[in-house]
Parts: sequence; C-alpha cells; structure tokens
Amino acid sequence: MASSDPIPAHLDPKTYPRHLTDEAQNIHLELTYTPLNPQAALDKISSPAAGANVLFLGTTRNTFEDRPVAQLSYTAYPPLTLKTLAGIARDAVAKHGLTGIAIAHRLGVVPIQEASIVIAVSSGHRRAAWRAGEEVLEIVKEKTEIWKREEFVDGGMEWRENRERDGDGNVVARK
Amino acid sequence: MATPTFQIHYFSSATAYTGKQTESLPAPLPLSQLYDVLESKYPGIQEKVLSSCGVSLGEEYVDVNDCDGVVIAAGNEVAVIPPVSSG
Repeated sequence: MASSDPIPAHLDPKTYPRHLTDEAQNIHLELTYTPLNPQAALDKISSPAAGANVLFLGTTRNTFEDRPVAQLSYTAYPPLTLKTLAGIARDAVAKHGLTGIAIAHRLGVVPIQEASIVIAVSSGHRRAAWRAGEEVLEIVKEKTEIWKREEFVDGGMEWRENRERDGDGNVVARK
Repeated sequence: MATPTFQIHYFSSATAYTGKQTESLPAPLPLSQLYDVLESKYPGIQEKVLSSCGVSLGEEYVDVNDCDGVVIAAGNEVAVIPPVSSG
C-alpha cells in the first residue's frame, strides 16, 4: 500500500450509504452521511401482520452540561458496526417476535435538532413493539461501533462515551 | 521492494491521542506485541487510551492479552475500538 495514508474507505462519505438487509426477517440497516428519512424507515417495517409500529428519533441536543454545543459529528467502522447492528436486530426479532425492524444512523456532521439515529420496529401487538424499540436503542448505544464528537460553541471538542450516562442523562458511576 | 505492512485504524480517543485516523505499521507482528509497539510510538497511550479499548483483526474482535500464536500479517486490517457513543 501507499506509504502516505489516504483517507480510509470507512471515513470517506463517497463510500456511503451502506446497507445490510435481511428480507426474510424484514431487517433493514443503514449508515449514511445524508439526512435520515423516518418515513422511509416506517415504510420498510410495514407488514400486513403488524398492528403496532413504533418510531424513535434521536436528535442532536444543543448543550452538554450547560455548555453550548455547535454541532455533533459521528464516525463509524462499518465492518464491525453493521455486524453488531445485525446481531442486535436479529436478537430483537427473535425475542419480541417483530414483523420488521429498521435501524439507521447518520454519520459526519449532524446539525443541532436533526436526527442522528432512527429506530423503527413493528409487531403484531403494541407491547412488543414498545419494548423492543426501547431495548434496541439501549443495546445499540451500548455496543455499536460509532463515536460521537461534540463540537462546542466555545471552540472545544470532546469525544463522548455512552458508558458515562444512563437513559436519563445522569452520570453513571464507573465500576 | 516496499516493506510489508498492515493497516491500523484509530477512532475517537485513539485518534485524538495519536493524531491519526489510520497508519501502516511493519508486518508481520505478533498480536501480543501490538500494544508495546503503540506504546513506543505514542508514550502513555497504553494507560490513557488502550486500557479501555477493544481491538479487531480482520473484522473480528481479538484479545490482546490472550493471543498466543496470533500474528498480524501483511495486508491485515486492525482497528482500535474505544468505548462507543452512538445514538
């Protein structure tokens, strides 16, 4: 390979969007550098066997501990990211009897108030979809190989670690 | 002609510490020596960064503390995987 190190493919927006689809289980995964489309996620998980469709959007917040955030930026390593997402999706389909699941994550700069993640799940009845939606998000945040950098209005920037915060935004004590 | 190498990718805290997103290092290299090589290039990285990171070799996670006989070959792809922050 060249001794100069060109930008690796996984950081080159031109190599995106990247998809992993399992039509048999109605699993749809996407990593993209362009704005997410919640309706497209809902369209993908629709099923004649579904009576419940749950959609979650994670959007970028404008502060971190009262410090104003200008924008966020995400990077991924798709060889691992898509494999991890596929495992999470398959586990959720099996455990909750889902009729469909779509997980899409945006990469690169995500301006404040725009969606960084979309999760959509469908099931025959509502309880499974509600539960699966929350559970999938928590596992994705714990395991998926994607990293968020917060760029502050004051010029600083910091890489985040999800293990530092719980679902209420509270600090988690380190073990 | 060219020295055989493997490619190593860095993310988040590892990118911040090395100042690099990727680089090529001489191959072959026993996996058990990877952290020593990185420590010699980036003093302090083992304690400050690598101690909380995973490592992948060819798209599979590996255990750098229990990898007798595993060798990173020329052309292999390695990644340092810090604690994640999706969503």
